[in-house]
Amino acid sequence: MIQKGKVSSTLLNGSLMAFILFVAYILHFNQEVFYTAYDRSEFLYGSSFFHILFSRPFSLIEYIGSWLTQLFYYPALGSVVLLVIWTFIFFAGINAFKLHGTAKALMMLPVSCLLSSVVDLGYWIYISPVRGYWFSQSIAYLIIMLLLWIARNTPRKCHLLWYVFAFCSYPILGWFAILFVLCLIFIGKPSWRENIGVVLILFAARIWHILLYSNLKFVDVSLGGFPCFETSLDSSTRLTIPFVILGVVTVVLAFCGRYLTKIIVPLACSVACILFTWLFMFNDKTYIDEMRMVRYAEQDNWKEVVEVASKNKRHTASMIMLKNIALMNEGGLLERSFSMGSVAYPIYNPDSVHVDFLEIASPIVCYNYGMFNESIRLNFENAMQSGFSPFHLKSLARCSYACGEDNLLNRYVSHIRHLLFHEDWQPYPISDNLKELVQCYPEELIGVENSDKYIVNNVSMWYESDSKLASEQALYYSMIRCDSGRFWASLRKYVKLHQDASFPKHAQEAYILYMDKSPEEKRMMLPVEESVYVRYQQFWKVLEKRVKSGVKLGDVKEQMHEEWGDTYWYYIIFGTMKY
Amino acid sequence: MKTYLHIYMNALAVVLLLMTSCVAHPDVPSTSKDSSDLPAIFPDYCDVTIPYNIAPLNFMLPEGEYDACVARFTTPDGVQQTYGSGVKVMIPETEWRAMMGESKDKSIRVEVWGKKSGEWYAFRPFEIHVASDPIDEYVSYRLIDPTYVAWSRMEIAQRNVTNFEESKIFNNEITSNDRKIGQCINCHSYQNYKTDNMLFHVRLSNASTIIVNDGEISRVNLKRDYTISSGVYPSWHPTEKIIAFSTDLTRQAFHTSNPNKIEVYDLESDMIMYDIETDSVYIVSNDPELLEIYPTWSHDGKYLYYCKSVPLPEEMRDQDIRTTYQKVQYNLYRRSFESATRSFGEEELVYDAASKDKSVTLPRVSPDGKYIMFAQGQYGCFHIRHSDGDIVCLPIGDKLPLDATEEGEASPFIDLSKFNSEGFADSYPSWSSNGRWIMCSSRRGDGIFSRLFYSYFKDGKVEKAFMLPQEDPELNTFRLRCYNRPEFMVEPVTISVAEFSKVFPK
Repeated sequence: MIQKGKVSSTLLNGSLMAFILFVAYILHFNQEVFYTAYDRSEFLYGSSFFHILFSRPFSLIEYIGSWLTQLFYYPALGSVVLLVIWTFIFFAGINAFKLHGTAKALMMLPVSCLLSSVVDLGYWIYISPVRGYWFSQSIAYLIIMLLLWIARNTPRKCHLLWYVFAFCSYPILGWFAILFVLCLIFIGKPSWRENIGVVLILFAARIWHILLYSNLKFVDVSLGGFPCFETSLDSSTRLTIPFVILGVVTVVLAFCGRYLTKIIVPLACSVACILFTWLFMFNDKTYIDEMRMVRYAEQDNWKEVVEVASKNKRHTASMIMLKNIALMNEGGLLERSFSMGSVAYPIYNPDSVHVDFLEIASPIVCYNYGMFNESIRLNFENAMQSGFSPFHLKSLARCSYACGEDNLLNRYVSHIRHLLFHEDWQPYPISDNLKELVQCYPEELIGVENSDKYIVNNVSMWYESDSKLASEQALYYSMIRCDSGRFWASLRKYVKLHQDASFPKHAQEAYILYMDKSPEEKRMMLPVEESVYVRYQQFWKVLEKRVKSGVKLGDVKEQMHEEWGDTYWYYIIFGTMKY
Repeated sequence: MKTYLHIYMNALAVVLLLMTSCVAHPDVPSTSKDSSDLPAIFPDYCDVTIPYNIAPLNFMLPEGEYDACVARFTTPDGVQQTYGSGVKVMIPETEWRAMMGESKDKSIRVEVWGKKSGEWYAFRPFEIHVASDPIDEYVSYRLIDPTYVAWSRMEIAQRNVTNFEESKIFNNEITSNDRKIGQCINCHSYQNYKTDNMLFHVRLSNASTIIVNDGEISRVNLKRDYTISSGVYPSWHPTEKIIAFSTDLTRQAFHTSNPNKIEVYDLESDMIMYDIETDSVYIVSNDPELLEIYPTWSHDGKYLYYCKSVPLPEEMRDQDIRTTYQKVQYNLYRRSFESATRSFGEEELVYDAASKDKSVTLPRVSPDGKYIMFAQGQYGCFHIRHSDGDIVCLPIGDKLPLDATEEGEASPFIDLSKFNSEGFADSYPSWSSNGRWIMCSSRRGDGIFSRLFYSYFKDGKVEKAFMLPQEDPELNTFRLRCYNRPEFMVEPVTISVAEFSKVFPK
């Protein structure tokens, strides 16, 4: 008997330890995700935001959740707070469900659901309309565990009051109020009097809709606070699975949790939790690197942007644009850009959500090319979906600063300085590059231009500018567009403005190619390095050898990537980023 | 049921107020340095003229610059009271009412002290002049994000300007069932400042016009096969159950570097009249070459004023409007109207803006019929997006055009320099029902987030504009939404959002 007790204790402690280590690892792995959660989550100071949130059930918890999301400015701090909340949930749950011995391990299950829910969003992180998502569900769950614990320690005759309390708390706790009542029902069979309370809670949403939320659709009031991932273009039921399981697990724990005391329970729970979270987590290195590049770009830390880009081999369109800006600022755009990869890969997007360059990086990219009006527009378009997050407020502030709109800048800065950790925030200085580029951008009326294609096309037309920087950009983007006409015009201007500089490697590659393949264009004669010319001939030989009938171009692309992936010729044949 | 929400919120506010131990009446600083400047209070209420029934003019000193603010109000009977909490001055409504009662047609003297780096500064005192002419109790406006293409929350709200109560007339969430298409609500309008006859539009999904006719709500589709769109910019006839609308094919484009940022223009634009009782739509004017827009009835309903574009130069007529938009200019016209026969007279040029290289929009005739006010900019029909957009006012005389002067005659234009802003868009002008208060939506704060401004108007003289007061003056900074198309009302809309939603398909 003693032996069995020791084994169960060891199993329980071991399983808990394994789970804690796993949770710590997952939180550590997602630090960049958490920073992005802070950066793209709306929390605004002032009564206006409070009142907007307060117009729905669960809004107070959402407001608290939104406030706490600011802690992810230091991802480790936010993670610790989440860990503390989950630890309290664990112990409160044990007491609420009166779990003993190995059954205590069952409380890993709700924690695992909550953990999964904060690491499974993927690209929804950029467009999620759910305010305070990262903390609100955990806070509300902790509250109902504590309430359940207290309720179980009150005399049975008071239970009716708990049902009434749950009904009254629906505007605050939303769907968790219903979960609380379900737990009460399953913990002890309700008496006929308590059934009145049960009936009351069944109609809670309808009654509160009439009393308090008649300005909303009923569907937005029922199951208040249950995360609903729906935008004008996308919806996801996958992301609600952790919450469905959380609800089911909680009811099961209330119903029979205390009887599940088999020795195997801790092991089974920890394995199930680890597997569940691992399977649900959005696990993609490019996704993380892309976030990292955006963060560094926001801080004008171009060196780090180049560093991250150089270590990743599957760049998305956003990463390529950010890398190009980084190389513009750090130098070497025409020497290093294709070596680092200019072929854009689609984002890893199992949910097929409509997220791309527009949501991820467009405002920063436009700002850094001096397209301030466009950056402002894109910030607003994005903010309509996911709110005025720190990312958008800072970006708008930088644009206002660059445009000399002081009053507008003050408004944005007032907002930002009321965020946690931002009391001294001010926009980064406007770089000399930016001052130079903004002069190249002509005034015109344009339509809705949301893509990187628009930027590429626009910058490639800067060949008429007398700016050295602009001429380099125009040359590069004419190469990206595979536009021989603009290439020759850009090259002429580039050479004129860079007479004392060497002929950059990638420009030589393009020069040889267009000399060879576009003989009808107005060409110019320039000396190129022998090695580049030899390599060009080799490239075509290899290509001709590998491209045979029946062989897929994708296979050839993979075969040639190792040796030729660093050349402009590889981009022009295999690049998916054609404009 | 929105009142329940208010009760709930107010109860919460009362509890919070009690918790924060009510209002601070701080002492005036014992020592201070004198400053010859007026205080940089926000909103700027220095030397403004206000109606006696307006809500308290709460204000603040710039937060980062000052640590504290104390203001002393002295009413004409010599009674003094001080206010100040942090950098804000927030006056309880009951005390404000008492002050206003004592100060009708007189002035309140305001002294402001600001604390900066541990030292108090006493600014030059200013006065608040209190007019005995009341302002209409309610104003309604569309609260919208400063949108371009995308939008989300949108509501038509009403505000009781004698206190701080704001409620929703309608929002775009309750009936928006098609997320892909979305729903946009706009252009609310009332007959004679009253709400038993009113309307607003719904665009995209559930596209229709919601008309309240003697309190009865109906949902109407004003698009006919002979009109270019459903009704857009409306104006209720003051006595008849008819509404004039423009019909427009409106587009927007974006400036790449112009500070105006957005350009809104019409590709086509005509005018129609809707007879509510017969559900009939009549064409008022549909010149295929020109754009007619912004109809508005005169105070007695005997004239319909509207704006109409002037022909483009010959060489520009076939060009894309994105290259010619700066040449599109509108003049102000009117046509007499015979309500018995529903017929219009000949067109008369009221104001030739194009000859001054200007463009007129949004005319409004004063309730006594003596003045006409409109928004004017250099070109186009959407001056709320033009930094040169200003409000212009002219007396309506017998001689047309109204601005025509004989040699030696003084300019007929009313001086609105105290009402307009310098370098920021001012638009959507309107008159209060007694004609003593004028209102506009202005982007003067920062160029983007529009706010409402009022001025006192008496016998053609206009006083300094003041911003719609808020309970917490910070709301003006922290509300990231625009006040769009404000309208005076003498009574609130009593139909709830839920009741309006009942006429929509489920």
